[in-house]
Amino acid sequence: MFAQLIASGLVNGSVYALVALGMTVLYRSTTIVNFCHGEFFMLGAFAVLIPLQTFGFSYAESIVFSLIFLFLVGGAVEKILMRPLQHAPHISLAMMTIALSYLFKGVSRFFFGREFKPLQPLIQGRPIEIGSVILLPQDLLTVGFSLLIVVGFFFFFQKTQTGKVIQAASQTPRGASLVGINVPMLRNLMWGVGATLGAVAGILIAPTTLVYPDMGAHMLVQAFAAMTLGGFGSLPGAVIGALSLGMLENLIGGYLSSSLVEITSYLAIIAVLIVRPQGIMGEWRQGRG
Amino acid sequence: MKKSLFVAGLIIAATALSAPLTSSAETGITKDTIHIGMYGPITGSTSVGSLPLFGAAAIYKSVNDAGGINGRKIKLSIEDAACDPNKAISAIKKLVSQDKVFMIHGGWCSGTVMAIKPELARNPTMPFMDLAAASSDISTPVSANIFQPVATTVTVTKTMLDFALSKPGTKRIAIISHSDEWAKSHLTPLLAYMKAHGMTPVESVRLEHGSTDATSQLLKIRAAKPDMVMAILYPPELTLYLRGAYKYGIKAPTITTQGVSIEDMVHRVGNPDATKNLYVFYPLDARMDDPKFKKWIDIYRKYYPKEPVETLSIMGMTGALAVVHALKNAGPDLTREKVIDQLNTLKDFNPGIQSGPLTFTPKVHAGITSGKMIYWPKDHPVIISAYPVTKN
Repeated sequence: MFAQLIASGLVNGSVYALVALGMTVLYRSTTIVNFCHGEFFMLGAFAVLIPLQTFGFSYAESIVFSLIFLFLVGGAVEKILMRPLQHAPHISLAMMTIALSYLFKGVSRFFFGREFKPLQPLIQGRPIEIGSVILLPQDLLTVGFSLLIVVGFFFFFQKTQTGKVIQAASQTPRGASLVGINVPMLRNLMWGVGATLGAVAGILIAPTTLVYPDMGAHMLVQAFAAMTLGGFGSLPGAVIGALSLGMLENLIGGYLSSSLVEITSYLAIIAVLIVRPQGIMGEWRQGRG
Repeated sequence: MKKSLFVAGLIIAATALSAPLTSSAETGITKDTIHIGMYGPITGSTSVGSLPLFGAAAIYKSVNDAGGINGRKIKLSIEDAACDPNKAISAIKKLVSQDKVFMIHGGWCSGTVMAIKPELARNPTMPFMDLAAASSDISTPVSANIFQPVATTVTVTKTMLDFALSKPGTKRIAIISHSDEWAKSHLTPLLAYMKAHGMTPVESVRLEHGSTDATSQLLKIRAAKPDMVMAILYPPELTLYLRGAYKYGIKAPTITTQGVSIEDMVHRVGNPDATKNLYVFYPLDARMDDPKFKKWIDIYRKYYPKEPVETLSIMGMTGALAVVHALKNAGPDLTREKVIDQLNTLKDFNPGIQSGPLTFTPKVHAGITSGKMIYWPKDHPVIISAYPVTKN
């Protein structure tokens, strides 16, 4: 049972990691805590479902559509709603993302309020037994794809010139502007990338959880817990925190009580903030540059 | 002068006498309308519960199209409670205080009905017809104005356990459930009935509403090696459980409540192997494709053509028909008291929708006391009373 709990925890944690990574990317580049990230997650799943079931797109075409659509949504949110508030206090920015969260949820409830749509797995197939561990092909795809994205992001931010420029611009936006870097464009790009990461997570988990307007709320809490656990603002921290949280939930549910599974993320947030506020990876950004 | 006083006296007397005749004093009643408030989960993750609401509303609309009741048309005000007790309280306060309805017909989630019971107690003359919420606590102990025209959780869980025990050799029963009011209303009578049979669950795990993973729960159930699993879950979490049970090779049949429809679950899970051993409490008298239901399905489709037709779609109709019956028999001088009196004398009322006749007395407001099970072995649903012996 232990091995299965760990393996399934890693599968869930992979999805949490993508959501947390999207939020972290945005936080690092804009210092905004995006409360509507769960809705990017939800919209990504719906943006696959609608063309697939309504317009007759193939699965691959629907996924491409979803990723492009969410990239544009992210960019549009930044340009139309967040950029005018760029000099406003943090609380105003946070309130805007909260309002957006309710707006996106409300709009999707309006159109799909009574719908709880099933989405077929990206890979069909019977369960695969690896020793005492059972996984679905979809589980392996989720872990593999998440790993690919995480590695890709690390490579991008650590090894490429553009990645370094983005990091530099996020740390000292005024300085970056003075040397000719287009900071607003980079922020816009990061909103698009963050939203797309949310969509990827939504697409990967939707075949398991079904697609419905409220699916993002739960995931947002998990992502916050993962970020807190790993270290708010740290890219590796978000991933490590997410994987740890996935495993922790399963171990607590398996060995203590299934009633505690849903509160594991809250317990993690409280415990980390008391014991080690900077989280596992120890990064803690102060204020806005 | 005397003549004027006499005429004035006649007018006053005539006014006083005519007032009761038109019942204009009764809340929610006008010369032309009977105002009924309805509520249910129209949005949210349990919005499948809107289907019985639409079924009941379709009955009221068809009654209007047929001429109404004793010269009055039914006016509906429908509120969305989204299975949220707080929203239900707000909805009821609006219906009672602002809309000033004559009576209320609503409630799919038991938690929302339990939440509004204090408000109903503050309006003890206002009739309340439960839509499809099954908690036995709704009608027990009896409240004078609350009527429950569906199988209660006592009936449901008794039927579920009897069904489980009808499979030879069943000794080990596991339970997976939510921890909310609705789940507790099933767990309490289920555990009591199991105790009466000298049984305790071999495993009992909780899966919260909104969960995205059930691994730890599934592994615990698998480790317990149950003969049967009682799943007291809403449709989304039951989907999660059934998919997971298939993944982890849990072969024990799953028995669940009337909170889900078999058609919906087969569609949602999307894997026939994962749903072929799912048995759902079935509140109706026949399969949905039975000709006897055509009349009701036609009514439903006429008023809600875009809504899916499922078991739940006609589940709320019996209560609406009982209300219509009581309103008719209460006569043109309609009062809430008369409607409650009529409902209290409803005996063997059977429009042929639910699994048994509906009977209310002043001491019993839980009107349905029987039910069956339904499953989907291959390509269509089958209604059964005992576990099918050919299956393993």
